[in-house]
Amino acid sequence: MSRQMGDSHRRFLQTMMVSGIVDEQEARTLYKHCCETHNTQCAPDKLDDFIDTINSKLQPMFMQIRKGMSEDSGQQYYALVNMSETEVTRMSSDYADNELELFRKTIELIMGAENGKASSTDILNSVDSMTTKKMKKSETEHLLNRLVHDKWLCEKRGEYTLSTRCIIEMEPYIREMYQDQVKVCHICHNIAFQCQICENPTCGIKIHNPCVARYFQGRAEPRCPACDDFWPHEIPEVRRPQSQSRR
Amino acid sequence: MTQRRRLSNTQNSPQSRQQPGTLMAQEEDDDSTFTQPSTSQVQRGLEKLTPAQVEQKTAEVVQYFLVKDQKKIPIRRADLVKHVVKDYRNIYPEIIKRAERTFDQVFGLKLVEIDTKSHSYILINKMEPVVGASIINPTNPKMGLLFVILSIIFMKGGLVRENLIWSTLKKLRVDPGEKHEEFGDVRKVVTDEFVRQRYLEYVRIPHTEPVEHEFRWGQRADKEVSKAKILEFMGQLHEQDPQSWSQQYREAHSTPSSSQASTSSQR
Amino acid sequence: MSDSPLIRTSGDNEAPRQNGYAGRGRGEQQQNDGDDGDGAFGPADLQDDEGDPSLRREIRSKYRDLINSVQQNREDMLSPSNNKLTEVLEQANKLFKDVRQAREAALDAQLLVVATDLGKEKASQLFVEGTAFDPTAFAEHLLSFMGLNRLEDGEDADAWHRVARKAECCFSTAPSFHYMMGSFHAEPPPPKQRIERQRKAPTKEAKRIMPTQLKKMEESHQEATEKEVERVLGHLKRYYQDDPESPIYYYEFVIDPNSFSRTVENIFHTSFLIRDGWARMYLDSAKLPCIAPVEEGEVEAGGSTSRKQCIISISPKTWKELIDAFDIRDAMIHPNTQH
Repeated sequence: MSRQMGDSHRRFLQTMMVSGIVDEQEARTLYKHCCETHNTQCAPDKLDDFIDTINSKLQPMFMQIRKGMSEDSGQQYYALVNMSETEVTRMSSDYADNELELFRKTIELIMGAENGKASSTDILNSVDSMTTKKMKKSETEHLLNRLVHDKWLCEKRGEYTLSTRCIIEMEPYIREMYQDQVKVCHICHNIAFQCQICENPTCGIKIHNPCVARYFQGRAEPRCPACDDFWPHEIPEVRRPQSQSRR
Repeated sequence: MTQRRRLSNTQNSPQSRQQPGTLMAQEEDDDSTFTQPSTSQVQRGLEKLTPAQVEQKTAEVVQYFLVKDQKKIPIRRADLVKHVVKDYRNIYPEIIKRAERTFDQVFGLKLVEIDTKSHSYILINKMEPVVGASIINPTNPKMGLLFVILSIIFMKGGLVRENLIWSTLKKLRVDPGEKHEEFGDVRKVVTDEFVRQRYLEYVRIPHTEPVEHEFRWGQRADKEVSKAKILEFMGQLHEQDPQSWSQQYREAHSTPSSSQASTSSQR
Repeated sequence: MSDSPLIRTSGDNEAPRQNGYAGRGRGEQQQNDGDDGDGAFGPADLQDDEGDPSLRREIRSKYRDLINSVQQNREDMLSPSNNKLTEVLEQANKLFKDVRQAREAALDAQLLVVATDLGKEKASQLFVEGTAFDPTAFAEHLLSFMGLNRLEDGEDADAWHRVARKAECCFSTAPSFHYMMGSFHAEPPPPKQRIERQRKAPTKEAKRIMPTQLKKMEESHQEATEKEVERVLGHLKRYYQDDPESPIYYYEFVIDPNSFSRTVENIFHTSFLIRDGWARMYLDSAKLPCIAPVEEGEVEAGGSTSRKQCIISISPKTWKELIDAFDIRDAMIHPNTQH
């Protein structure tokens, strides 16, 4: 496979810049669209090669199109991520300093929470301990909306979780910064926020909900893959990948 | 009274990152300290560096352009040299050449110098927009607002009084005096944001009381926006042949580089 | 200019844009009575006694309305599809029949300036080859393109997105790159503090009981308590004013190292300051509770926003530990010596 980028690659990359994240189905559609627009060959099983070609050229800029799983649906996603932290990357102007501080506090809350969620009240309260410019309640709410809109957080009934985009991009950061708090899925070995935990106190392994579904599918009596104790949680259904997107 | 002891006093001073939306006033151009190195200087400079060093600096410059382009405000050479190029200023032309190549070959973008006096750059897209390409792309409603304003200016011959813009926007339910749901402070978006991005020029008309301004296209719009396509849209909208606006049609289809032809009634 | 129906005299062409009446008899003194600051000047030969003040006032007001309407509706009047400008000029002609004095004439001239300017622009449209662009028609077409009904005032959330999508085809805008990782300085989260046990979550039971207990005590000792609370607030305010920059640590504030019971009293009284919005508590960067008086202006703004309950429990043992941990030697709230 050619390592040289063509117009189809560039168009794919541009769309990734605009969207930030696409699910696997969208990525396939986009791949096909880009190839058709520029009359290049499109082999359905070559999407990852196609993306690798782009990544090889993005590498010097510490950018990458990275694959990851949604903790919610178990679907695969592709996100365009930044991989370095330098003087230049810190010039990003999407969020102000105090907004970034609150975002970090939100991550802290989520990391510290058993269920991987932070309630809006807790986030609002954490404003009080900010060291940069404090935010008003309305400003905080506005910021949270923006973070959801920009696909960094997800919100459900007043509770915030890290989005798939955020987890894909921030995984190395979280692993490094929260070494003793980070949970890792026993099945897929990625970090886990929304997961089930083995209740055997000497075991306590974690498994993503979608990984639970896949692992225990068709087994009569679910047992912990590590300690063989009975797995007492509800086993979710395996979700078939669908084109309807959830981010 | 007892003296008070304090455990620690680690009150971090707020860092000086700008709030989004507020931008520092354009600093005095410190570009004068930078003189473009000659070809032989560049040659000598390159000999002292390893290819990896030059490559890395180029990648940093590309990164800088990408980060700064988030706000679509032109990037000044002076800032680029000060923040990124730094010690590599003696090979500046070589680095810019390579950055241009990366934008072209990897991103499908073009680095354009829009102001040869202050040496500012913008990024524009080399790829043709594809109809129906926005299968997944979200749209930015501000672009719609900008589009309407640029269309009016172009159709009115390149120069319009601000009143015309405000009154037309009012008809479109956008009141510059009110906070708009989608655009916020409309007047600020139009006369500040679009102007700093160089989509628009907003100039005071001399000797008017009360003060009045007029709009024309900014340098970025000249590079980025297709007059022919605007006219095409006008045709669709009015169900009219675009050629029936003969002056506009001629301008839209003349050489794209010299698109500045103000025909309007200058008092 | 001279073919305008308004022109009956030829002024010296110095007329500035506003208030531009240049009278026939030049140089005469101003007779500005200044009642509404038109800055009109009145050449003497226009003055006679015919002027009925109320008629004059009416004329002036009509002129102003006309001037306003030209200025406000400029763009509509420019539209090739109407004759509004002519209508205005005809009205002005009628008005002028009754103009006897300079102030009215000045307004007439002012209207003329505005109207001429507009007429010029309108005329320039006639010279454009091909079709002239009509912004009014454009706006109407655009409204229906946006899916906005002209008669209804409703908002369509998608309206501007529709235009934006169209715009994208005409713009060759570079997409921009957005990211979160790397936009801020990576630093490990603040280490957990030793005074952890204070933050142990109270049981639901305790939460429910505490507030009612406070209420009972409040009722029985109401007056004494009120005085004490005020005294404590006085202390808090003084410390704060001495040095508003440094945080006042809650435990330093309430603990009396010489008396456990006074400490409990202090905690009790301070809780009223918090409940009634005179003081607020927050955690500093090291997660230590701090207390500060609420400033006058803040009371309303922040008063009801982020209410949160918390229970402070203290035993003689923790009291001693806190004294050690904070190295407290003196009470910040002095024991009340009055009784």
